Amino acid sequence: MDAHRSIYTETTLRNAETVMAPDRLGAMHQTRISFVRTLIRKMAQQNWQVTKHDWQLCPQGYGHVIYKLVTPSHEYHLVVFCDQIADDERNDRVIAEKWDVTFALVLGDVDVALLEQLRANVPLQEAGRNPNNVLVLARANKSVRVFEHIVDHLAKGQQPSPQELAEVGYILRTTAVYGNGKFGIADFKVLENNPDFNQSFSAQMCAVYMLREFSLDWVHYLAEQHGGERATTLHRGLQRYLGVGNATGLGMAPYLINHPSIVDQWMTTRENALAAVLACEADAQKTEYLRTLIEKGILHLQQVITINELQKELNAIAVHDLKLLLAKLESLVMQQEDSLEFATWQSVVDKSQHLSLEAQEILTSCLMELYPELVDAYQDQMNCDETLSLPSGKKVQDLLVTLEENYRWAINTDFNKPENNYWFWYRSQDKEEPRLGVRGEEPGEERELPLDVGRQAFRLYHALLEDKPETSLAEFLVQRPQFRAIARRVWTLGHKAMGDIQMNVLHQSSLPMHLLRCKLAVFGATKFDPRSERWVRVTFFQGSPLLDEIHEEEWLFPLLPNQSELSGVEQNDNHQHGGTC
Amino acid sequence: MIVSHNELVAAVNKAFLGMRRTCGEADVIANMVADLQMVGLDGVRHFNNASNFMGLEDDCPVDITTTEDNSIEVDLHGSSLACHLPVIMDFAIEKMVGSKALKIELHNCHNRWLAYSELVKLAAKGIACTAQWENGSDPKQTLYVLNRGCVAPELFFCDSALETTEHVHNMTIELSVNDFDLKRLSQGYKRHITSSSLAETQEKAWRDGIEVDDMEWSSLKETATAILVENSQRSIQGAGELTTTAA
Repeated sequence: MDAHRSIYTETTLRNAETVMAPDRLGAMHQTRISFVRTLIRKMAQQNWQVTKHDWQLCPQGYGHVIYKLVTPSHEYHLVVFCDQIADDERNDRVIAEKWDVTFALVLGDVDVALLEQLRANVPLQEAGRNPNNVLVLARANKSVRVFEHIVDHLAKGQQPSPQELAEVGYILRTTAVYGNGKFGIADFKVLENNPDFNQSFSAQMCAVYMLREFSLDWVHYLAEQHGGERATTLHRGLQRYLGVGNATGLGMAPYLINHPSIVDQWMTTRENALAAVLACEADAQKTEYLRTLIEKGILHLQQVITINELQKELNAIAVHDLKLLLAKLESLVMQQEDSLEFATWQSVVDKSQHLSLEAQEILTSCLMELYPELVDAYQDQMNCDETLSLPSGKKVQDLLVTLEENYRWAINTDFNKPENNYWFWYRSQDKEEPRLGVRGEEPGEERELPLDVGRQAFRLYHALLEDKPETSLAEFLVQRPQFRAIARRVWTLGHKAMGDIQMNVLHQSSLPMHLLRCKLAVFGATKFDPRSERWVRVTFFQGSPLLDEIHEEEWLFPLLPNQSELSGVEQNDNHQHGGTC
Repeated sequence: MIVSHNELVAAVNKAFLGMRRTCGEADVIANMVADLQMVGLDGVRHFNNASNFMGLEDDCPVDITTTEDNSIEVDLHGSSLACHLPVIMDFAIEKMVGSKALKIELHNCHNRWLAYSELVKLAAKGIACTAQWENGSDPKQTLYVLNRGCVAPELFFCDSALETTEHVHNMTIELSVNDFDLKRLSQGYKRHITSSSLAETQEKAWRDGIEVDDMEWSSLKETATAILVENSQRSIQGAGELTTTAA
């Protein structure tokens, strides 16, 4: 392995104020240590095998299908149920009760009894109970337009319109992918010593990746049912281009607020990996590769179709900024304008601070792609202990200092102003869906969820100021026990590298979308298409290798195959029909 | 029925939040209940008992008096131990600095079984502890001993009638940097649940799921609905508008 020249002996992280600012979180993109990327590399490195184990669909495409996954350590089965639903029953929100497809990833074998138990419960989702050898419980709806378009064309022996696919980017769209003990399934703790899925969310990602394979097998099966011998298979370039869609709503936001240590861990790990890259000195070869990746990023953004005007504008600005960056890239990587000495990547990033956040974050993702051997070392550092605790022997003054150093965003907010308290968060009786209400206008304020971290930190700060600085924190909390929870959080997160997300989620103009985007990017989502300020559609595994060609190479930004690629030799590769590898 | 750890913790968390108490931390209490349930000691039942009364209890800080160098007395004003024990233990551990032992006399408290989880945490900090309490119903007397580095306590019970009911709302916790003499302390107790059997039950719960009595689970789930807000047309909009059908 070549040793990268590094100027610094110790890496320096970007500061938390920059990284944890909501606008920047809301501009994040997939990196090579996003969960989907890590999973695909692991599957390739360990030669995981997926086979179609049981295919029990009627000619109309309803019934069940089982895929078998074999890893070096275990066997799993993905059990998929396909049901006929009416168009008006197809709803992406958690309040839905029927789905086109429901599925479960099971550890071990699926015998007849288990299959029947799953058949009776998996299609019910939240209303069912599942045994604890189920690792993942999820559901998906069709993109009806894409589904029908593909099946119709393939049945006639034709390829679908690439543009039609580009607008959506998937055949199936998941609307919830449950893990970690939800509705009776296995707790994540059970997977702690399982080498396949001991990284958080990896089992969920794997189930979704296998669903992508099913979505392709499904349209091929139906095309054959409809077209018989005339039917053809989807061009492999288009197969790669189709991922799995995902509709994510407000429900994801409380996760990020309620699991601050996890968010810190994700962000700190990413920053550590980035810092290792930024400490390296640029060179001509890496610069050329960076150019290729940024060009890919530009094309990707140009191909993203979103109904959201703001996102459209942000994408357009990012394209503009990235083009400017490319125009100056050769000089940016040099120490000075006419210098022959290469600068570090840190210097390149420093000189790119004027770019839009979307453009900066694309640059970040591209830079991390340049040094797989440095970055991938961080991929298994995404888990953490979530305990929030206070050490013994601390004084009021110690916590005041922590607040002043790490919670300026909260203590400098005047929570007496109505705009800083505008929203309240609550759970609805309707399947416990998290919702936002306007304080003073809508019912439910008395059942507000304690997601107001900024406001709690603000109140803690002012309560601490009323006490003597030398008072022991333990004594303070005996007198004012209502502050112990926020004190634990502030102390713990205040002593972590990135800490809490610096966002007052009660503010009138706060955008929950930023929180959703952050988590989705860590997962590895692409094609961000906000449907409102609180809902977003994305794709997973769009552009990823297919199961029978799985590899460790880069697939950062999904791109629609161009005309020459579509007319290439890969077309109609019938051995793919069947979806085994 | 069998439930997962995450389900149990989430249900208690919601149930406690729904009570809108000032004192007590939902995440801590949820773990108190889960830890107790996982070792087969009816955490959910104890929490359900607690939640029947929490709304009627004082919701105010405890009063702590340091009586001697190595002893503190705490008046919980008739409220649940679950809401106050973490604060008391933080205070007690600080008071213990520089001495080898500390005695904590808790007065006027309920739901003493829920102390289990907080006391288990002490062993990891190198502190041994005992807890003793009397109860109006069986078991009349309970002794909990957890020596340093142990993952679960030794539990001893005695059902003999009490001479007085004066102490049925009290609890005595002793902390020490040295291990306690199990044999001596357990004299007179008739029943014993070993640390190893508690640990085995816990391991099984992680492996196979946590067994909870159906009625107790229903009751907990019902309590957990207190945090939910009625549905309305405006409320539906509060989740964000969305195009719901074919894309």
